[in-house]
Amino acid sequence: MVTKVVDLRSDTVTKPSEAMRAAMAAAEVDDDVLGADPTAQRFEAEMARIMGKEAALFVPSGTMGNLVSVLAHCDTRGSEVILGDNSHIHIYENGGIATLGGVHPRTVPNNPDGTMDVDKIVAAIRHRDGAMYYPTTRLICLENTHGNTGGKCLSVEYTDKVGEVAQSHGLKLHIDGARIFNASVALGVPVHRLVRAADSVSVCLSKGLGAPVGSVIVGSKDFIYKAKILRKTLGGGMRQVGILCAAAYVAVRDTVGKLADDHTKAKVLADGLKKIKQFTVDLTSVETNMVFFDIADPHITPDKLCQVLEQRNVLAMPASSKSVRLVTHYQISDSDVQYTLTCIEKAVEEILSGNAKFERLTNGTTTNSYGH
Amino acid sequence: MATKVVDLRSDTVTKPSEAMRAAMAAADVDDDVLGADPTACRFEAEMARIMGKEAALFVPSGTMANLISVLAHCDARGSEVILGDDSHVHVYEHGGISTLGGVHPRTVPNNPDGTMDVDRIVAAIRSTDGALYYPTTRLICLENTHGNSGGKCLTVEYTDKVGEVAKAHGLKLHIDGARIFNASVALGVPVDRLVRAADSVSVCLSKGIGAPVGSVIVGSKAFIQKAKILRKTLGGGMRQVGVLCAAAEVGVRDTLGKLADDHRKAKVLADGLKKIKHFTVDLTSVETNMVFFDMADPRITPAKLCQALKQRSVLAMPTSSKSVRFVVHYQISDGDIQYALTCIEEAVEEILACDAKSERCSTNGTS
Repeated sequence: MVTKVVDLRSDTVTKPSEAMRAAMAAAEVDDDVLGADPTAQRFEAEMARIMGKEAALFVPSGTMGNLVSVLAHCDTRGSEVILGDNSHIHIYENGGIATLGGVHPRTVPNNPDGTMDVDKIVAAIRHRDGAMYYPTTRLICLENTHGNTGGKCLSVEYTDKVGEVAQSHGLKLHIDGARIFNASVALGVPVHRLVRAADSVSVCLSKGLGAPVGSVIVGSKDFIYKAKILRKTLGGGMRQVGILCAAAYVAVRDTVGKLADDHTKAKVLADGLKKIKQFTVDLTSVETNMVFFDIADPHITPDKLCQVLEQRNVLAMPASSKSVRLVTHYQISDSDVQYTLTCIEKAVEEILSGNAKFERLTNGTTTNSYGH
Repeated sequence: MATKVVDLRSDTVTKPSEAMRAAMAAADVDDDVLGADPTACRFEAEMARIMGKEAALFVPSGTMANLISVLAHCDARGSEVILGDDSHVHVYEHGGISTLGGVHPRTVPNNPDGTMDVDRIVAAIRSTDGALYYPTTRLICLENTHGNSGGKCLTVEYTDKVGEVAKAHGLKLHIDGARIFNASVALGVPVDRLVRAADSVSVCLSKGIGAPVGSVIVGSKAFIQKAKILRKTLGGGMRQVGVLCAAAEVGVRDTLGKLADDHRKAKVLADGLKKIKHFTVDLTSVETNMVFFDMADPRITPAKLCQALKQRSVLAMPTSSKSVRFVVHYQISDGDIQYALTCIEEAVEEILACDAKSERCSTNGTS
């Protein structure tokens, strides 16, 4: 008998629904490189409309979404981009903007709420007088929700403010909006309003929205035209890609409405974790679908906890030497949340009593956090 | 009523079969980045086995497969790769190996048969004495079948010879094998034998094999491990990618056996074209599923011909100011071939008649 695995490692683990599978099987397709795949076109037009931008482009991953965006905005040699020192692009995308794109990163510290101080952003913008020594700043990147700080929402006021800074300095603004819909729902701000100040946004379809593959980039027609060529250059030009777009279409149609529930479940998890005295949880910092908690008891490590949980078919991700991350999604039920809390309580007892048996983590997670 | 379009522009236009669609819908999937998608794993293992290599990696496109392969072999700064001046990697992949990867290309002329002269390859290898001036040659790339020369097959003897040269000089050998199965079938050489000399091969699934998306790279375990990281860096790390691998698996199972038929249909097409006196066709150069033919009559241009054909629902690709290419695939029937030939004859008459009347024929801009 197969026991259900409660996978809280990330919202990327969502598997395609029956409706998505049916849509993929029935998708009307064509060669999207030689011409245009009709399902891809329809989906891209719909995403552009939803996000309030002129055009959109489907790409295989969020990494490519961000890479294409940075390279498109910074297509002149000697460019620099301002971004958070704890941002996904800077930490978890293999430094591709630099190693592949030749773009120099200039980091500004991320605050616990996911923002960067606006005055620090301004201070990081290179002065033209220094052109003999400085690269040229061309772009500012924000991340909303901000993953490493706990799935924190950047408000529309903050985003607009950074947009004004960008505009007044002749810079572009890109939002890594992998989880932008979570932010929109949590803030109660329509997504197109939330990103209005941005020249481009990358949006993941394969995370909380549940599609099997892909992200979408949105921006102006000119930007998307450049992006399309970069996508091909990077090797992201897929042929009958409507297969994937059909599933993504269903995801946007069916799952955006369930995100609020994911946030509720995250709060329930956090409330339950707070009751365990060996952990420290800041309930106010649970804004969307992520829960980070610190382990206060030195006898318990994130690795040990995750290993023991795995024995009970609950998967979680160590986030640092002292913390663990749980991410909820629509394929986690309320009873899964309760089951998880029970397992965590038992795991803690087991570890403290010395009865736990530790096996190497088999679910592909290691002691390093991936930041997915 | 929708007329069937006979699409001979490329074998990339193949649409997923019913069996593929069913396989995609039913695929057993998981997060291939956080862990491993079971369908992707199974498919990659099978492709490695078929190609006679240790490991394999599924990627979104042939362009990414070649880009990853070159970058993985040439991961030291200051690297150079030897490749054909008329190769797909050099001509049609945006120079990505250089613009993104910082790898310098050194081209050697491609012969009409798709090969490069071995002595010219050797001559292009940088001497280590010149290290103060020269980049370091690390890789040789072959393309089999060779697209721009007409879908030509590189023999196993030639491939082995280039492999020996590579080995003798401490270089790696990568084969852009987008249509390697076509070569294997046409030559009657098992595909694993054909690529034995290569350190890596890129194989397209979305061309003649008919899958909707993707290619696969094969090579040693160590190479594929590097390739996996490069794939993620380029943005090719897809999550529940088994949906695509399921279709590719069906493609390999169901369509390989149909490639020989594609070659036969290409020959029928070429024979028919030869009968039209306004065209020049070299029948001996039709080795696989591609037919290139030249316009012998200046009144007929590739653009005009393709437009006139398009009006008859036959799609083809102009390849130069004087030539047109047809590519055959399993979704082109024998009846479609005959229909295409009839349309071509009609198109030629129409263009010549138009020209004779000195009227402006309608132009809607094919290039």
